[in-house]
Amino acid sequence: MVMTIARKELREMLRDGRFRALAVTVFALSVVSFAAGWKHYTDVERQHLQAQEATRAQWLNQPAKNPHSAAHYGMYAFKPKSRLSLVDTGVDPYVGVAAWLEAHKQNEFRYRPAQDRTAIQRFGELTAAEGFLVILPLFIVLMSFATFAGEREQGTLRQLLGLGVARRDLVTGKAFGVAAALALVVVPATLVGVATLAFTSEFSGLRDDMPRAVLVAIVYLTFFATCVAICLGVSAWARTSRAALVVLLAFWFVNSLIVTRAAADLAAWLRPTPSAIEFQRGLERDLAAPEEMRLRLERRRQELMRQYNVQTMDAVPINFSGISLQEGEERANDVFDAHYGRLFETHEAQNRTLQWAGLAAPMIPVRSLSMALAGTDFAHHRDFVKAAESYRRGIQRVLNDDIARNSKPGVAYVAGPALWAKVPEFAYTLPSAGWALRQTAPSLLLLVAWCVASVWFASRATRRLAAD
Amino acid sequence: MLEAIRLTKRYDDVTALSSLDLTVRPGEVFCLLGANGAGKTTTINLFLNFVAPTSGSAKINGIDVTSQPLETKKYLAYIPETVMLYKSLTGLENLEYFAALAGRPDYTRAQLLDFLTQVGLEREAADKRVGTYSKGMRQKVGIAIALAKNAKALLLDEPTSGLDPKAANEFSALLAQLSADGVAVLMATHDLFRAKESGTRVGIMKQGRLVRTLETTEVGHGDLERIYLEHMHD
Repeated sequence: MVMTIARKELREMLRDGRFRALAVTVFALSVVSFAAGWKHYTDVERQHLQAQEATRAQWLNQPAKNPHSAAHYGMYAFKPKSRLSLVDTGVDPYVGVAAWLEAHKQNEFRYRPAQDRTAIQRFGELTAAEGFLVILPLFIVLMSFATFAGEREQGTLRQLLGLGVARRDLVTGKAFGVAAALALVVVPATLVGVATLAFTSEFSGLRDDMPRAVLVAIVYLTFFATCVAICLGVSAWARTSRAALVVLLAFWFVNSLIVTRAAADLAAWLRPTPSAIEFQRGLERDLAAPEEMRLRLERRRQELMRQYNVQTMDAVPINFSGISLQEGEERANDVFDAHYGRLFETHEAQNRTLQWAGLAAPMIPVRSLSMALAGTDFAHHRDFVKAAESYRRGIQRVLNDDIARNSKPGVAYVAGPALWAKVPEFAYTLPSAGWALRQTAPSLLLLVAWCVASVWFASRATRRLAAD
Repeated sequence: MLEAIRLTKRYDDVTALSSLDLTVRPGEVFCLLGANGAGKTTTINLFLNFVAPTSGSAKINGIDVTSQPLETKKYLAYIPETVMLYKSLTGLENLEYFAALAGRPDYTRAQLLDFLTQVGLEREAADKRVGTYSKGMRQKVGIAIALAKNAKALLLDEPTSGLDPKAANEFSALLAQLSADGVAVLMATHDLFRAKESGTRVGIMKQGRLVRTLETTEVGHGDLERIYLEHMHD
């Protein structure tokens, strides 16, 4: 029974020229978005690799010089692009992809593609995620708004109910019919995506990406199921297909355009982000604390004299200027941790507000989950910032340690490539899929809640489906 | 087969159907006559359980339609004033779909074509999309659906309105055949001539009440019209 209904729904859609045109358009958009994502990914990945190699080579090829000069010479750390970022670029264009690592300073990230954009591009680039989140729900609305309301207007619903078709079978069959039509569009598009993914990675890379890729697919399928259930429910509940279309288009508009923007504004209003200048001033104010620094160094001197069991600093067998530099780093690190910690906490508080806006729009949890699984959400950004910063601190420790051990006060000291090579190459691996999901657990909950609620709504609306 | 027991339907303060007692036995063709708003369609909707009765009950094959709506529909076929079909499907595909949903998914193409031939649809039309059909052709597909369902009771809501005389005549012949096969038929109609021709009994309804029931064999065409008009006047 259910399959008969599904088959008939699909057959009707396939014979409808509007459906065919729509399907071809959506498929073409998907292919274009995957192609654009693939091109972007490979370009950026190549540039990153080259830049990473160049910055490493520059570091290693420094001539003999004082280690502290090398610390100021600095280097770049590049955030590796996850392969799934070709599906969802997430916050990457806004938070930047490269950090300049140097002595004394934790720098903000540079190279934010969004900075170089024109106003028209602010509406977002065409990524596969954008297509799945915005265009496909519209496609589902256009495909299914008339499922029940249209049959009621035509009078066929009256006959179906007169035949003794169970409403449950009717709604299930229609849901499968819409799902099959959707699959005709989504499955080829997904195959194109998987092929693109395979094309951009060796086999081992593809295997590593699999858990995340499968989870992304499940998240989007759940989202589509939610959309179909909402559409069928509204179509059963509305008196006319025109009313169903208006309600569904309004829902689509609010879901994909209004809630995200309103929630972002609300989040920024509840927890305002400091301006770049304010942030910089605050940092500088706390960094400049000569008295505290003096006390700190005095304490270190006492510790060292006790440690080496001597009476004067001259008798300590290491160079205090290296210790002093490292002390300066450590103190600054505390300040950076506090300030960046607060800044990131603000961003995360904003993200939490945004996440709970998912109560009003199912698209929001899906977007969070999609970014998280693509490795391009804020949690991943923060994780990378932490890795880059701890790498920077490691560099400073190696160099300052060398000054303390090997240089003599008042004697010019230079170190060579052997020391530069002691600094390991920067390596960053993406956290696991499980970690990514844990970071965005409320979204997972919200998505499941939306799916369950929409199925409940659809079954309720069809249970009291009126013949006319 | 079809049974109404003190069946009543009120909408706010309007009584659409008042305490209807009616039994249609297998092989009987009962024609409900009356002006628009007399309660004919309400009666049919009550048997279909499309509206819930205010009081009383409607039974099909002895089973109450409100408590077991799906069970009672197994015995029932319904043909509306205008049979509505899926325009992008062919007549045969429509028949196949409706028959499957009526619980008969097992018919072969030949059997389905046979139903369409029985109701007088041209062979070439069967594989054409319904969008191109005339009203008469759609009514024929509607009857074919009822035949395919092999129903014990048939509800007809002004099925011949808008049909040309030849098509209406063919329709009456089909009805006679169904009645001979033991199907109980309840038909709402405005057509006194058709009611006298194909009905075994006629009932005259007025303002929600069944005011007169007649055996068609007892009255001539002229008598029926006179009695009907008498009731409409007072």
